[in-house]
Amino acid sequence: MHALIQGVIFGVLTAGVYALMASGQTLIFGIMKVINLAQGAMVILGAYLAYQLFTSFGIDPFLAIPITTVLMFGLGVAIQLVFLRPLRAQDKSELSLLITFAVALLIEGVLSVTWRTTDRSINTSYANASWTILGYQITTVRLWAFLLSLAVLGLLFLLLNRTRFGRAVRAVVQNPESARLLGVEAQRVSAVGFGIGAATAAAAGSVYGLVYPFNPGSHYDLISRLLSIVVLGGMGSVGGAVIAAVIVSTSSAIVASTVSPAWSEMTFFVILILVLLVRPQGLFGTVGRGAI
Amino acid sequence: MSSVDASVERASGALRGAAAIAGPLRGAVFFGALIVTPMFGLQHWVLNMLVFVLMFAVMSSAWNLVGGFAGYPSLGHAAFFGIGAYTIGLIFRNHALTNGYEPFLWLPVIGLVGALIGWPIAAISMRTRADVFAIVTITFLFVVQTLAFNLRGITGGSQGFAMPIAPFPAATFELPFYYVLLALLAFTAGLTFAIIRSKLGLSLASVRADEDKARGIGVPTTGVKVLAFSISVGLTAMVGGVWAYYESFVYPQFAVDPLITIAIVLMTFLGGRATLWGPIVGAFILEGGQQYLAYELGGSQFYLIAYALVFLLIMLFLPRGILPTIAERRRQRVRRSTGGATPPPSLLPASPMRPAALDGDGRTSGINMRSAQAKS
Amino acid sequence: MNAILTVDGLSKKFGGVRAVDGCSLAVEQGTITGLIGPNGSGKTTVFNIITGYLRGDEGAVAFAGRDVTGFDTGRLYRHGLSRTFQQARVFPQLTVLENLVVAGGYSLWHLFSRRIRRADRERAEYLLAEFRLAAMAEAPAAELSYGQRKLLEFAAVLMSEPRLVLLDEPTAGVNPVMIETMEHHVRERHAAGTTFLIVEHDMTFVMRLCDPIVVLDAGRPIFSGSPAAVQHSPVVLDAYLGS
Repeated sequence: MHALIQGVIFGVLTAGVYALMASGQTLIFGIMKVINLAQGAMVILGAYLAYQLFTSFGIDPFLAIPITTVLMFGLGVAIQLVFLRPLRAQDKSELSLLITFAVALLIEGVLSVTWRTTDRSINTSYANASWTILGYQITTVRLWAFLLSLAVLGLLFLLLNRTRFGRAVRAVVQNPESARLLGVEAQRVSAVGFGIGAATAAAAGSVYGLVYPFNPGSHYDLISRLLSIVVLGGMGSVGGAVIAAVIVSTSSAIVASTVSPAWSEMTFFVILILVLLVRPQGLFGTVGRGAI
Repeated sequence: MSSVDASVERASGALRGAAAIAGPLRGAVFFGALIVTPMFGLQHWVLNMLVFVLMFAVMSSAWNLVGGFAGYPSLGHAAFFGIGAYTIGLIFRNHALTNGYEPFLWLPVIGLVGALIGWPIAAISMRTRADVFAIVTITFLFVVQTLAFNLRGITGGSQGFAMPIAPFPAATFELPFYYVLLALLAFTAGLTFAIIRSKLGLSLASVRADEDKARGIGVPTTGVKVLAFSISVGLTAMVGGVWAYYESFVYPQFAVDPLITIAIVLMTFLGGRATLWGPIVGAFILEGGQQYLAYELGGSQFYLIAYALVFLLIMLFLPRGILPTIAERRRQRVRRSTGGATPPPSLLPASPMRPAALDGDGRTSGINMRSAQAKS
Repeated sequence: MNAILTVDGLSKKFGGVRAVDGCSLAVEQGTITGLIGPNGSGKTTVFNIITGYLRGDEGAVAFAGRDVTGFDTGRLYRHGLSRTFQQARVFPQLTVLENLVVAGGYSLWHLFSRRIRRADRERAEYLLAEFRLAAMAEAPAAELSYGQRKLLEFAAVLMSEPRLVLLDEPTAGVNPVMIETMEHHVRERHAAGTTFLIVEHDMTFVMRLCDPIVVLDAGRPIFSGSPAAVQHSPVVLDAYLGS
C-alpha cells in the first residue's frame, strides 16, 4: 500500500515533465499534422545545453531555461524551414515521419561527437535532497520540476488562448482551409509552432537533466513514451496530452514500485496498444470516418 | 475483326510478350552474375561486404512490401531482425549443432515466428492511419530493445549470447552464407514479382493511392496491409537468423539497432519505393558505401551524422528514388519525341445532329473563326 | 412499388447546428430520384450518412429490405450500394483499366489470382467501350481530363453491378457537352435496371432526368413529386427564395 501511494506521488510529479514534453509534440501535430519524431532528441539536446551552462558557467538549470528556450526556438524554426517546408503536400505525411526521425538521429550524432556517450546528469547542490512527509518521500528536484512544468504549461495556455498568435494557431489546428481564407499564414504559424514545440523541449530538457541521467541515445526511450502519451491524449490536444501524461506516468510509476522497474518500461506500450484497440482517437481526439 | 486489327493485335501481343521476357531476363542475368562471382577467388573482406550487401538487399526488398507498395513506412523492422537473431539463438542454445547447414534449415521456422509476431501488431496498428502505424512500430522497436537488454535469462542481456560457431573451413567461410542469402534474395524478389502481378499487388497499389476510396469500394484494405506486413517481417527475421549464425555472437545493441531500420528505409527510398529492383539497387549502392564509411570513420558517432545527413539529402532531393526518376525521364523523352500527348478518344456518342467532339479539339475556336469569317 | 432505400427519422447535429432533422424519405426501385434543396438543407449530410461516410445521431437506413444503419462504406458497396464523389476520385497512379478492375469487388481469397485476369478484362472492356475510354485503358488515370475522370469514376462503380448508385453532384465542374454524356449514361443504366439517387444543384439537369424529385429544407423533406409538380409548388419556391 505504501509502495502504491509512493508510486502515485512519484508518477504525478514526473507527469509534469512528461506533460511539458508531450505538449510541444502534440502542438506540432495539431498545427502541421506532422509527428515530430525528433521531440525526444530535442529534449536531450536541451538537457545537454543546460548541463554545459551549468558545468561551464555554474548557471542553475532552472535559470538556464530562458537561454535554452530561445536557442532551441530558433533551432526549431530552422528545422521546419529547411527540412519540412520544402515537402510537397502529397509526400508530407509519409516523408515527414522519416525526416524528423533522421533529424533525431542527426541530433544524436552531434551530441555523441560533442559530449561523448557517457551518462551525464546535472548535479546541483540540491539534486539529491528530498523531504519526507507522512512517510512518503518527495524529491526536491521532482517537486520543482513539477512546479516549473505547471508554470510553463500555464504560459503555453495563455499563449494559445489569450494572444492573437494563439488564436491563429487554434484556427489552423481546427480548420486549416478556413484559417487560410481568413488570412492566417499557415506557413508562418507552422514555423513558429515548431519553434514553440522545440522551446518547450528545451525547458523540459533542463528539468529532465536534473532528474535523470542521460546520454545521446536516451531519446528513443523518451520518444516512445511521448508518442504513447500523445496518442492517448488525442493527437493535437494539449489538454489531452497533459491528462494522458498523468495517467501514463502514474501507471508506469505504480508498476515500477509494486512490480519491478524493468516492467514499468512496458507500461506505456501496453497503454498504447489498449488505446488503439479501444479508442483509437485517444481521449480528446476527433473521430474521422473517412474523407468525404 | 479486320485483318488490320488482327495484325495490330498480334504485334501488341508480341510486344507485351517481349516486355514480359525482359524482366525475368534481367533477373536471370543479375542472379547468374552473382552466383558466379565468388568463384573468382575474391578476398575475404570483399566476400564479407557482399554478405552484408545481400543481407540489406533482402531486408530492403522486404521493407518495400509494406513501406513501398502499401505506403506504410514501418520504423520498427530492426526489431524483427533482432527477433530472428534471438530466435535462432534460442533454438541452438539447448540443441547441439549436428551439421553446419542445420541452422539454415530452421530459417523458415524463424520466418514464421517473425510473421506470427508481426501479425497482431499489424492487425492492431494498421486499422487507422499510417502515422499511428509508424508510432506503434517505433515503440515496438524500443520495447524489443529493452526486452533484449533486460530479459537476461533468455537473451543474455547486455553480455549477449553465443551461437555455435559455424564449422565451415576458414578459407571459404563466407560462401555458404553468401549463397543462402542469395537464395533468400531470389525468393524475396520472386515473391515481390508475384505480388505485383497479383490482385494483392493491385489492392496494395489502391491502398497506397487513396486508402479511403479503396476501402469505400470494398477492397479488403486491412487484410492486405496485414498480409504485406507479416510477409515483410518474416523475411526480415530470417535475415536476422542468418546474421546471428554468421557473427556467432549476438549483442543486443547490434541485433536491435535503429540504424538497421534507417539503412533499409534509405536504401529503398534511394532505389525507388514500390519497384522491384529499387531496393536492391539501393542496397548495392549504399551498403558498399556504408562499409567503407564504417571502416574509415570507425566509431559510431560521425557515422550516425553521416547517415542522417545522407538520408535527409535523399529525402529532400530525390524522394522518388533512382529507378522511378529514370523511368520518368524516359517517359518524358518519348512524349517529347512524339510531339505531345495523343488526343483522347471521342467521348460522346456521335449522333447525326452533332459530330463527335473532344475537349481542346478546337471546335470553339473553329466556331469563333467561322462566325468571324461570316461577319467579314 | 417497393422502396429500395428507406431513410427513417434520421438526425445529425454538428456542434449546435441540426444539419439533418428527423429526415424520412424513400427511393423507389427502378427510378432516377433527385435530391435537391437550398444550401444548408442537409442533402449532402443525408447523402454521406446513407453512404456510410458519417454516422447519424438518430434514425435508421434500410437498403433492399435490410437494416444497414451504421454500415461502413465498403460493406454497403459489397451489398450493392455505391456512390461517386463530387471531385471525381480515381486512383491516379493506376491505369484506367486497373481502376475499373479494382472496383470490381473481390474477396481475400482472390488476392493470389492474377492482377488482371481475362475475365476482369472482359468485364471492364464492355464498360470501357460504353464510356469511350478504351484507347486510354493502359494509361495512368492521372493523364485523364477532369471530365474523363468523372466518367471513369462512374464506370468504376458500375463494375460491381450495384442496385443503387448515388451520384454526388455529377455535373459539378463539367462542361455542357459532358453533362449530356453523363445524362445519356445514367439513362442507359437506368434502362438496364439500376436505381439512381442524385444530389444536384443544376436544376435543368435534375428536371430533365429525375422523377420523382425530393426537396429538402432545414434537414428534412418538404416536398416530393414529379418535376412539374416541384416546379409549381409554392412550398418549394418558398424554401429556395426564403421568406
